Amino acid sequence: MSSSEAAGLADHPFLRGMSADCVALLGAAAVAVSVPAGRRLFDEGAPADKCWLLTRGNVALDLHMPGQRNLIVETLGSGDVIGFSWLSPPHVWQFGAETVEPTGAFELDGAAVTALCDTHPDLGYQIALRMLAAAVRRLQATRIRLLDLYGMPGQDAGPR
Amino acid sequence: MSLQAVPARYRVVSREAETRDTVTLRLEPVDQPIGPHQPGQFTMLYAFGIGEVPISISGGPGSGLLQTIRSVGAVTRALCEAGQGQVIGVRGPFGTDWGVAGAAGQDIIVVAGGIGLAPLRPALLAVLAARERYRRVCVLIGARTPHELVFAGEVAAWRDRGADVQVIVDRAAAGWHGHVGVVTQLIKRVDIDPGATRALVCGPEVMMRLAARSLCERGVAPRSIRVSLERNMRCGTAECGHCQIGPLLLCRDGPVISYQRAAPLLSVKEL
Repeated sequence: MSSSEAAGLADHPFLRGMSADCVALLGAAAVAVSVPAGRRLFDEGAPADKCWLLTRGNVALDLHMPGQRNLIVETLGSGDVIGFSWLSPPHVWQFGAETVEPTGAFELDGAAVTALCDTHPDLGYQIALRMLAAAVRRLQATRIRLLDLYGMPGQDAGPR
Repeated sequence: MSLQAVPARYRVVSREAETRDTVTLRLEPVDQPIGPHQPGQFTMLYAFGIGEVPISISGGPGSGLLQTIRSVGAVTRALCEAGQGQVIGVRGPFGTDWGVAGAAGQDIIVVAGGIGLAPLRPALLAVLAARERYRRVCVLIGARTPHELVFAGEVAAWRDRGADVQVIVDRAAAGWHGHVGVVTQLIKRVDIDPGATRALVCGPEVMMRLAARSLCERGVAPRSIRVSLERNMRCGTAECGHCQIGPLLLCRDGPVISYQRAAPLLSVKEL
């Protein structure tokens, strides 16, 4: 990884605030990638062994629908992390992912990150905290969507 | 009597279906018109024999009277079904406006959810009509599905006129290649110059609260965020008290107020 890429990794919102030592350790398991639009990052049911810290572009998380096009569950963009399934058993992707537009990311090797976390508990703790925070944000966004705010009937009362 | 107390007769000159339950009516006065309106203000529309409801004005200044109505009850259903030539009553205009003229020289961020885009449209059109007076113009729109996006046919024109328009839907449909998620996710991704930003937010109250919080997290001051609140507007002239929220009578002191003023009120249950 070049020095500018290492600086970009340290600046990624997911890693913001992490010590320079931990970021440097993580850099050994990361590679900067550019992915064209329409490329599948992973498919539902396949072994989950990576995650990506997005720096530009957009990625659609999708679900296979028999006899239909894949259903997009959520789109993720710059600053987001994509890929949780590498962290916990059964280490299989629960959704698929495809780039919607040309996308840049830091691709992290799951096995290498796991090994680093095992030998460097400080890094492991920092990664765990950040993955938890990202999962909480996703959960909250999902709950808000479940409220179906825009579909609420309302009343003949306020000015809309 | 003033046209704020007695409805003026207006004729429906056109009716455009925006979505399956939302229409935009273009109205022209039969007799004396109501006064000039500002972006963000509303009128009381009267379906004769059925009832009266507050509806935001969705047309820009000088464009006649455009009202976008979602069918959610007896009165709005009657208004949505009003055909060309039908006469309805109009009182107003009422309330405060978005104050976009006062944001000259700043970035404008418009955050709309669902039919909340209707009251924001006049503000956006006013900004785009004087595009050189503003810096970046960013429009973030949340909708339930791609089919339930109001003014969908205008998005390309807004982009052509210098607005960065991004749409996000709760549920994607076949062929949708845009964003999927909640509108606050878009706030997280756009460039924001917090010290030189005016944000205009309108949609369901929960969405406005979350959007305003996201803007504050990005450094935008609550006083620089405007929200349009919805309560039970009846008289429009601050006399009946139905639209009271804390110290405010929203038909007069709102619907557009700063988030600095709204935030403590929105956190009080049953207010």
